[in-house]
Amino acid sequence: MLDKILNWRFWPLFFKELNELRRNRRLVAMMLVPPTVNLVLLGFAMNPEVTDLRLGIVDESRTAESREVISAFTESKSFVAAGHYSSIAELSRALSAGELEAGIVVPSDFATKRTRGEVAEVQFLVDSVNSNTGGISGGYAARIIGALNEKIALNKSSVRPARAVSRVSLFYNAGLQNSWFIVTGMIGMLLVMLGSLVSSASMVKEKEVGTVEQLLMTPAGSAEIILAKMAPIFLLLSLDIGVSSAVGSFVFGVPIRGSFALLYCSGMLCVLSGIGIGTIVATFTRSQQQAELLSFFVNPPLSMLSGATTPIEAMPHWMQPLTNLNPVKHFAVLARGVMLKGVGLEVLYPNFLALLAFTVILVGVSAWRFRKQLN
Amino acid sequence: MKRIIAQTRKELTQFSRDRLTVVLALVLPLILMWLIGSSVSLTVSDLPVVIQDFDQTPTSRRYVETIRASLTFRIVSLPITAAPESALDKAQARAAIIIPAKFEADLERGRTAEVQWLIDGTDANTANIMRNDAAMIAQAFNRQNGPSGAPAIDAQMRFWFNPGHDSDQYIGPAVFGLVLALFPPLLAALAMSREGEQKTILQVYVASIHAHEYLLGKILAYMIVAVAEWVLTLALAIPMFGIWFHGDPTPFLVSSFLYLFCNVCFGAMAGASIPNQAAAIQAVQNVCFLLSFLLAGFVFPISNIPPWLRWISGLVPARYFIEVSRDVFVRGGGWSATWHVPVLLAVLSLVFLFKGWMSLRKMQIEA
Repeated sequence: MLDKILNWRFWPLFFKELNELRRNRRLVAMMLVPPTVNLVLLGFAMNPEVTDLRLGIVDESRTAESREVISAFTESKSFVAAGHYSSIAELSRALSAGELEAGIVVPSDFATKRTRGEVAEVQFLVDSVNSNTGGISGGYAARIIGALNEKIALNKSSVRPARAVSRVSLFYNAGLQNSWFIVTGMIGMLLVMLGSLVSSASMVKEKEVGTVEQLLMTPAGSAEIILAKMAPIFLLLSLDIGVSSAVGSFVFGVPIRGSFALLYCSGMLCVLSGIGIGTIVATFTRSQQQAELLSFFVNPPLSMLSGATTPIEAMPHWMQPLTNLNPVKHFAVLARGVMLKGVGLEVLYPNFLALLAFTVILVGVSAWRFRKQLN
Repeated sequence: MKRIIAQTRKELTQFSRDRLTVVLALVLPLILMWLIGSSVSLTVSDLPVVIQDFDQTPTSRRYVETIRASLTFRIVSLPITAAPESALDKAQARAAIIIPAKFEADLERGRTAEVQWLIDGTDANTANIMRNDAAMIAQAFNRQNGPSGAPAIDAQMRFWFNPGHDSDQYIGPAVFGLVLALFPPLLAALAMSREGEQKTILQVYVASIHAHEYLLGKILAYMIVAVAEWVLTLALAIPMFGIWFHGDPTPFLVSSFLYLFCNVCFGAMAGASIPNQAAAIQAVQNVCFLLSFLLAGFVFPISNIPPWLRWISGLVPARYFIEVSRDVFVRGGGWSATWHVPVLLAVLSLVFLFKGWMSLRKMQIEA
């Protein structure tokens, strides 16, 4: 039995492919650079955090009451005072020029209204060109004013007013590190894309150089040829799972709270489905350049419909179910489950099975297409 | 001049014969813009939340109604025996809200009643939005519930430029620039590197055409293609995102032209220095698309990028174009806010053009 395995003609082919892959510097660079450089770049650059918003101030009241409001804003972590303006017109100009993210206007009758016990108004202007930042800074302002109102109500009457408060506990990512979200989403994307890029490049090269015929003349069957082609790529790219989780944990401090074995297995499925996609692309093209152009039709849907970098809940409703057809999405759920939530297969099995199913389908179709072509 | 135009015509004929490239040039930008434009957004709605109401009184139900009224949340049911944390573990809900027993009784006695919000923090931005909403829901509930009457201070919120926080107004003008950052340089790079790869460049050397004429001819041809792409994508972007010019459109038109020129020059430069089509595609894809996607302020604010990385964004043409595009479609600041963009784009174009010319000359000497 052991003898049979050792003498299997698959091995010489396998080592031939491995050697070829190792000698191709560009391919090796393609395997090593993205999981390190891209992950670092993406983790640092994709950050929608909203803090230290530049706040412009127009204080027409200039009283203790107005200063109380303004300091409530500037003392919070959310806003920093960026300048005092003498009129609303000046503030508007600064806001239009993009020098400020928000502005607060305290009108001249603010203090009198406050002492009379009337409702005193302030205006809060938000630059909401960036809809996310605009919405969040509006929320910050409402919270600050709300807290101030409660404080004033408390001072007015010695009786504590009955009120409901929300006690928020943040699960899984208490520091709200956005890079944790990006890194866990991007690992799967990188694995699938690298798998498809490297495998299509190596398959097409054989066609371009015309060595496919030589392969056919070997006694190996077409299944063995395919296996020998895929196995070295699969092995080398599987190392990338370790590299990228190491980058995640050393550079960004992403924890791995669950089972690393489960993460690795899911990562290997991602690599395999990437190899399947790449091989299918390669069977439709004659040159490497065509294969790369064709991947422009494949990669954008894979990356955009995955929820890897932006939340799926922000997509249009009809689009959200489509993400279930994407292996990258299932890996993102698995990676976030294992790394951040620390849950295992008992919770993640639907995504694991879906990923497994996609892998089987993609590898099956690619093997079928490749065999058809060889014959 | 005549030789430049001849080169341009030759280039356009060659382009129109390659069907994959024509589809790539004219159809793919539209698909990609549609895809990115409809999927990339940070504005969440209908987040699933589970509520466990241990109080089951009219007051606690009024609290639940306040949550139901918010657009951010969608209440999903939770079996009474299940632990709310497990709904977060299984990703069935993004937040679990627990209303304690004696919620109503505490409020009636004038005590503070605490409602627990367990928020899934895996997506930090969404968690931050939920945290804001948790505080605002409590305030809204207290306003309805409390006898305190009107608040002492009333903040009137004015959301400028984009009053509905419409994500399309933010993403739309930018995705238009992003798509134009990818395809014009890609086509130009392919055309340049093809000649290097297939050694047809040698025929050019023996012809009477000069290096700069050859380069300008190619750039002119792909400028024409790029302008066609610009018209098509703009024609789709305006209805798709519901955007229209605010104020003077001339800064946009001038910057658009320079932006396309800049991108085509970059592509020509990349193609001239990499005589291998597959590698040229990779280079353009990584440099143009990735950098424009990440460092041009497309979704994520540039000011959030750490300084050691941020300086690169100054070299990315898309960064300047997105500024103008947002200005003309959303803000409406006109020339006074945007005059620097055409200047910087022109400078970048000249740098790329010069580099491209240099590498072409170098190739000629080596050949």
